[in-house]
Amino acid sequence: MNRINQLFQEKKNNILSIYYTAGYPGLGDTIAIAEALENAGADILEIGFPYSDPVADGPVIQASSKQALDLGMDLNLLFEQLKELRKKVTIPVLLMGYVNPVLQYGVERFCKACAEVGIDGCIVPDLPMVEYEEFYKDTFLENGLSNIFLVTPQTSVDRIHKIDGLSNGFIYLLSSSATTGQNLQVSDQTETYFSRIAAMKLNNPTMIGFGISSKETFDKACRYANGGIIGTAFVKSIAEGDIVENVNAFMQTFRS
Amino acid sequence: MIAKLKICGMKDPLNIRDAVALKPDYLGFIFYPASKRFIADLDPVVIRQIPLPVKTTGVFVNEELDVVKKAIADYQLKAVQLHGQESPDYCRALSNDAEVIKAFGIDAAFNFASLKPYEDAADYFLFDTQTAEHGGSGKTFSWQLLEQYKMDKPYFLSGGIGPESVASLKQLSDHRLYAIDVNSRFETVPGFKNIEELTKFKNHTMSYFVNEKGYYGDFGGAYIPEMLYPNVEELRENYLKIINDADFQKEFHALLKDYVGRPSPLYLAKRLSARYNANIFLKREDLNHTGAHKINNTIGQILLAERLGKKRIIAETGAGQHGVATATVCALRGLECVIYMGEIDIHRQAPNVARMKMLGATVVSAVSGSKTLKDATNEAMRDWINNPVDTHYIIGSVVGPHPYPDMVSIFQSVISEETKKQLLEQTGNDQPDYVLACVGGGSNAMGMFYHFIDDEKVKLVAVEAAGKGVSSGFSAATTYLGKEGVLHGSRSILMQTADGQVVEPHSVSAGLDYPGIGPQHAHLFKTTRAEYVSITDDESLQAGLLCTQLEGIIPAIESAHALAHLEKMTFTGGENVVVCLSGRGDKDMDTYMKYFGL
Repeated sequence: MNRINQLFQEKKNNILSIYYTAGYPGLGDTIAIAEALENAGADILEIGFPYSDPVADGPVIQASSKQALDLGMDLNLLFEQLKELRKKVTIPVLLMGYVNPVLQYGVERFCKACAEVGIDGCIVPDLPMVEYEEFYKDTFLENGLSNIFLVTPQTSVDRIHKIDGLSNGFIYLLSSSATTGQNLQVSDQTETYFSRIAAMKLNNPTMIGFGISSKETFDKACRYANGGIIGTAFVKSIAEGDIVENVNAFMQTFRS
Repeated sequence: MIAKLKICGMKDPLNIRDAVALKPDYLGFIFYPASKRFIADLDPVVIRQIPLPVKTTGVFVNEELDVVKKAIADYQLKAVQLHGQESPDYCRALSNDAEVIKAFGIDAAFNFASLKPYEDAADYFLFDTQTAEHGGSGKTFSWQLLEQYKMDKPYFLSGGIGPESVASLKQLSDHRLYAIDVNSRFETVPGFKNIEELTKFKNHTMSYFVNEKGYYGDFGGAYIPEMLYPNVEELRENYLKIINDADFQKEFHALLKDYVGRPSPLYLAKRLSARYNANIFLKREDLNHTGAHKINNTIGQILLAERLGKKRIIAETGAGQHGVATATVCALRGLECVIYMGEIDIHRQAPNVARMKMLGATVVSAVSGSKTLKDATNEAMRDWINNPVDTHYIIGSVVGPHPYPDMVSIFQSVISEETKKQLLEQTGNDQPDYVLACVGGGSNAMGMFYHFIDDEKVKLVAVEAAGKGVSSGFSAATTYLGKEGVLHGSRSILMQTADGQVVEPHSVSAGLDYPGIGPQHAHLFKTTRAEYVSITDDESLQAGLLCTQLEGIIPAIESAHALAHLEKMTFTGGENVVVCLSGRGDKDMDTYMKYFGL
């Protein structure tokens, strides 16, 4: 059983997952941030590998990606850095990024490298479900990787069931159809959508992401799912200054 | 279609069902008892139930005529394939009952003149490897021998064609090649076909156009985040239904005629013709309303958006031509319009920005990344993600997730549709020798190629922008510099680093300044159906000046790239060459003025 399944078996509520971009703010910060986040109480880490054209992201994560790329981050360097990961970090860790860098690295090589450094799963938003199922699923499973799919308020019931069937970690619920970095506003409509998903009794746990930036919005997410995912707000908080201090200050609001 | 597909030697009912689902053009059953694939006691109902367009085909070897006729009736066969020494009269005797395919075993000793008596007797020939056992050897014969075949009758190519034959089949450019016949090389055991291999073979070999899954060979698809899935799926489910609707067609063509000013002329450029020793025809897309071919697509998409109930239109633009064409149709139909344009392009293309604003559009500056077309496209996609219900995104080229490349090429295909008619009127022949067009994303080229793609006699030439030279680091020659990958929602060829980051292109013409090409172009490139060449900034500007001075037509610098390639071609005289003059040069006067010191 991989670390993701283990976590959801042991913990059902208030699961906090944090996204950050590898190689940002400093090229060598990747592992230090991971370690600080685990120490400060994060349950899951999502490490973004940067891409030049991140269409699903808002300006903050896009800018962090650009900075990391300018500093020289790429998948070769990232996997080199991640060799230290499991010496320092025990919680589940996912890699998140766009499909083209993975294709160029080689899907099989990518999955093997993930397994070698102790990565538990991937989120590749622009990898279509049908391609995953047909070409990549076996390679992911052979390497013990969970593939995390996204669901939006517009995703049909049939498709959600299909996604549930293909998932083996958790399902990433988008609070709204939006790019990253906007504020979660739980309207009646959103509430209906979250309740609808909750009532579907999916096999996989769910995590709500996109627009979660504060304790208040995180608590709202936890009402409808097993936990929440924070990206933009965290990336903003570590832009300048000491990594460990920034991480502790940010996490304090969520873990107090 | 490159050619039709015949799958032969079926006998297992479940395997037959799976093969039918693949929709081959012909499905063959062996009625020759000595064959390993003899149907034996297969229930005739299994064959009778197979629906058209799959043509069920009975294969016979020197069988009694009455037996064949009875089999046609009992099994409701649509075609018969005669593999023995059947005479021309024997073939004729069956021609009222079914299509007649007469097979011949080919080896170095075969006398092609012996086919003459069969010319009127059979519908098709089938050329198979010569064996004592009437075919089924699993070996190919030397296809070079077909050079001795001089008749016009279309033929099936058979004998040992397997999954590995894809590359060599794509090299064949014989318009008489009607169908590919496959059998034992796709089998696990005799009579039992590997459906997965056949599916791959069919998708990769048999068509230059999009398949049911949204792919052109290895390229295409819809690589989009879940947030865009419902929008793209809505479009995919509806685009062909809407486009094929009579009411849509009527409105579309009326607007093309009365608003755009179509048909655009096909003009025989006499002085250019004299210079190049060929008949140079210019397809005058520059004479369209708004000055380029872009309006063909925006008219189509705005009518489609209306039928999908959309209230708001977004688009990306590089030079501003697609932005102007989009803002124009939005003004025409009274829809809200937001155009994304790179910050750098906004400064470079001030007159077009003013046009869009005057037409009522909001122009939003894309300040991320390199601040040019690629980033404007990213911003438009982000807008669409954030506005999934009421907004339609009018992509301006044959790029993006399926169905965009197919949809845009259908709207632009009016270019080649008209060209064929005009050529026929002007020359008595609707087949040109060459068709040339420039390629950025590739929409004018796809429109110009569309109705010629399946006619292998017509040579297609796509001209990319070499910028300051393909090795200069300032280039947009995608097929030369790029690798396969995913950009803006489809798998294609794009300029990128080893790590898969998209590289910023360069071209003097903003319309060709794009790091990718449409997936169908990538397929035409990989299959070598079209030739991809490149022209530098300098060469294109010189060609623009030449066309202006010889023909009195100032071309857009994009179109001047296509014209420039004429300098590099050699003609023997009398060839008919069509060049797509995709746009007019008014927008480029600043560049021309600076370059030539005007």
